[in-house]
Amino acid sequence: MISGLVQILLFQGLGELVSKFALPLVPGPVLGLMALLAYLWLKGSAGASLDLVAATFSQHLGLLFIPAAVGVVMFWPQLQAHALSVIVALVISVMLTIAVTALILKALTGEDSDAG
Amino acid sequence: MQANLPPIAEIWVYLSGSPLLALILTLSAYQVGVLVYERLGRNPLANPIAIAVFIVAVAITLIDMPYPKYFAGAQFVHFLLGTATVSLAVPIYKGFNALSGRVLPLLLALIGGGVTSVISAVGLARLLGADTAIIGGLYAKSVTAPIAMGVAERIGVSPTLTAVFAVSTGVLGAVLGRYVLDFVGVRAWWQRGFALGVASHGIGTSRAFSVHPEAGAYSSLAMGMHGILGAILIPVFFSWFK
Repeated sequence: MISGLVQILLFQGLGELVSKFALPLVPGPVLGLMALLAYLWLKGSAGASLDLVAATFSQHLGLLFIPAAVGVVMFWPQLQAHALSVIVALVISVMLTIAVTALILKALTGEDSDAG
Repeated sequence: MQANLPPIAEIWVYLSGSPLLALILTLSAYQVGVLVYERLGRNPLANPIAIAVFIVAVAITLIDMPYPKYFAGAQFVHFLLGTATVSLAVPIYKGFNALSGRVLPLLLALIGGGVTSVISAVGLARLLGADTAIIGGLYAKSVTAPIAMGVAERIGVSPTLTAVFAVSTGVLGAVLGRYVLDFVGVRAWWQRGFALGVASHGIGTSRAFSVHPEAGAYSSLAMGMHGILGAILIPVFFSWFK
């Protein structure tokens, strides 16, 4: 568990450094993700410890959004005058985005397995 | 009088000055959210994050705790968002074996979805008469919040508004995704997961992982790809549109 966490933190640090000094266009965590991916590719396996940490994080990814999302809820009343147009735009847009992405994939690969 | 002050008030003052209260609040609200979600058979309408956020928002309003004070404690949870993003390399790596032959379709689907996201949101908001500041906040809304805020700064629109729309989009996608995907008849887990990740980033990915591991892996792949491509292409898009 600890060695996996250390590896992830090191790659996060690496990503932050590269983002700050070389590639300000791409955020640090994304660069860290890419670097870790390249490392796993070269190494050929993730190892039990890294596996465990990553599984824990992806299982509880939602928890990490709560502090920021609470701020969002507090902010919404300030949008009162525009709330309706924004909500309509957000709801329709997210539905269209999901539908278009999924339909392009289905059309291009023709795969239709698994149960819905 | 002072000596007779009930000790509870002292405890209260002590706790609200430390990060502990915000952390307890955040984690227990999440626990309740997950319990309700599980109890209702993982129904997408009972989104655990939305439930937890509602509980925390009501709680801090009731105890009169200003948001900055809450966040000062909860930032320890928030910080891990970057760490969790890095750790998504592992499920993506594991999904790689199944990826061969899918790279081009995935890339095209991402571009199609990303363009749809921007055009539909900006177009609709414009049509409904929203003002320019709000419309600007919609450009990066399908990109994961930390990246979206960086993009917002670069194109000169409000990072706060962008984050508000990104998080709202994440929750909406997690809640509505299943119905949209059933409606358009897309059944393969990897396709469903990828679509969810393109449209509603981390919060959609969280939902995808709770439904099926393959959906989760493809959703995190979509979120990462959209983050990278969005950071580069959305500023270009913005300069065409405005």
